[in-house]
Amino acid sequence: MKQAALVSRGLGVPLAIAEYPGAPMVDSDEELRAKVERNLLPAIIKGLTSVERPEPDKAPVEPEPGAVVFKGTLDEVEEYFHQQLWSDGLPVIPPTRERVDAFLNFTDRDPHEVIGTLPQEGREADILSIAVNGVMAGCRPEYMPLLVAIVEAISDPNFRIETAGSTPAWEALVIVSGPVIKDLDLNYGQGVMKVGRQANSSIGRFVRLFFRNLCGYRIPPGTGDKGSIGYTFNVALAEDEEWTRKIGWPTFAMDVGFKAGENVVTVQSVTTISPPTYSAGDTAVAHVQQFADVFGRVFSYLAHSGVKRGYWYPLIVIGPAIATVIAQQWSKDEVRRFLWEKMTMPASLMRHFCAQTAGQELDFSKLVKEGTLPDYYAASSDPDRPIPIIVKPEHIGLVVAGDPGRNQSRGYMSNNVQGTRTSRHVELPRDWERLLERERQKQSAPRAPI
Amino acid sequence: MTLKNLENQFEVLWPLGRKAVRARTAAARLPDLAGKTVGELWDYIFRGEIVYPMIREHLRARFPGIKFVDYSVFGNFHGAKSKEISSGLADQIRSHGCDAIISGIGA
Repeated sequence: MKQAALVSRGLGVPLAIAEYPGAPMVDSDEELRAKVERNLLPAIIKGLTSVERPEPDKAPVEPEPGAVVFKGTLDEVEEYFHQQLWSDGLPVIPPTRERVDAFLNFTDRDPHEVIGTLPQEGREADILSIAVNGVMAGCRPEYMPLLVAIVEAISDPNFRIETAGSTPAWEALVIVSGPVIKDLDLNYGQGVMKVGRQANSSIGRFVRLFFRNLCGYRIPPGTGDKGSIGYTFNVALAEDEEWTRKIGWPTFAMDVGFKAGENVVTVQSVTTISPPTYSAGDTAVAHVQQFADVFGRVFSYLAHSGVKRGYWYPLIVIGPAIATVIAQQWSKDEVRRFLWEKMTMPASLMRHFCAQTAGQELDFSKLVKEGTLPDYYAASSDPDRPIPIIVKPEHIGLVVAGDPGRNQSRGYMSNNVQGTRTSRHVELPRDWERLLERERQKQSAPRAPI
Repeated sequence: MTLKNLENQFEVLWPLGRKAVRARTAAARLPDLAGKTVGELWDYIFRGEIVYPMIREHLRARFPGIKFVDYSVFGNFHGAKSKEISSGLADQIRSHGCDAIISGIGA
């Protein structure tokens, strides 16, 4: 309920809030009725009829963007940031003016340019706030163009950042495409999704920090993030573009509408990750059938939440060696089509999973009638008929990355339409090459041995 | 001189953004709901099909002449058509003459 109060303040609209104690999905009908009578009804009546209007929130006066808010030693800064709930529980790099300015050098944009006003605290995401949180996350200054593009993507209303505090506890996944992958030393090979390479790790951490500090998604002792259990943030995923081109497939960035060789970031939610999935053989069908068998099972549990809204975005990271075999026989579109056809589940089971989640009845006929779902979802009245867990083949994302020396792939599931897959061109500063070279020289300067 | 004084001092910048939302005053409350129209908004989850009828029953018993605009009239503001429904809600609420709104439930 703290989240409701936070949202109310973020919208600037004072609301009367009635709270149902506990989880309504596990209460008996009797308990439910008793709690409605005892808790909800008095609060609803009071909220509707109280002669005292809820007053606008008297928010404390806050610093201006760019203001120095604390001075101290490293330990004192860390403690202060923890107390203010401005860190993610890990140490942060102190965002001094000098460090922040180094980030601002890597963009031609005005530090005070506002990209968007973000729910749920109603804060302005400006270029300066990106630089400050980038420093804190341990990014290097030259990552700044990527960070700006990420914030542009998550500020797009289609991304639905207002849903990032929901109970499934989805995390954003950044996918990087283009020459900037090598410019910034992003890992696209072995261990691509493990913490360990500075660019992948710190860019992933930046997104989590930005969600906390600009949107207000904080777990207790903060408020705003209702994630029930959750998992850690994702490191940024870079695609192996060279390999993808070599086998004759379009890159992921081209799949989402950009030109070959364009620097692009894509952000989408991830709520479920498959096991590491091994597949063998020298035919495309052997591998893609394995994807359907494994990912189909993993995705089938939560598929209802996307299907009832008409779309969701599965992402498959295909190991380069496997992609090579598949690409000899099938295009990416043929892979998508096969997966869409094979990844099915009984309609009755999807309805059951949906009802268990939040008590909602999944009425396929109604969803088809209103245009949310294609006809094939209501093509039969057999309750156990197989239905696709992915609404349309084109919703499937395919990225080649990982260890070329192993036959492993992995599937990632979006949280329905929340964190909808959204891409942005990465705008580099005018003198990118010179700035990058200067930064590299600084980083490779010889250090005195201890 | 203590060890602390030998350590570097850092002046750090505020990591948040300016709040861009102007606080508004709530609409006047309705001391008596008798004869008033109450609209219902529901996201079709968490057993609202039981909760809303209970609310209606209790409010009808307490406030004679109270009317309800059922949640089905507005549709699911958290479903497949959430954007379209949310953008048209204010007009919908006005056109049905709602004096107050109850919105639920949870996330």
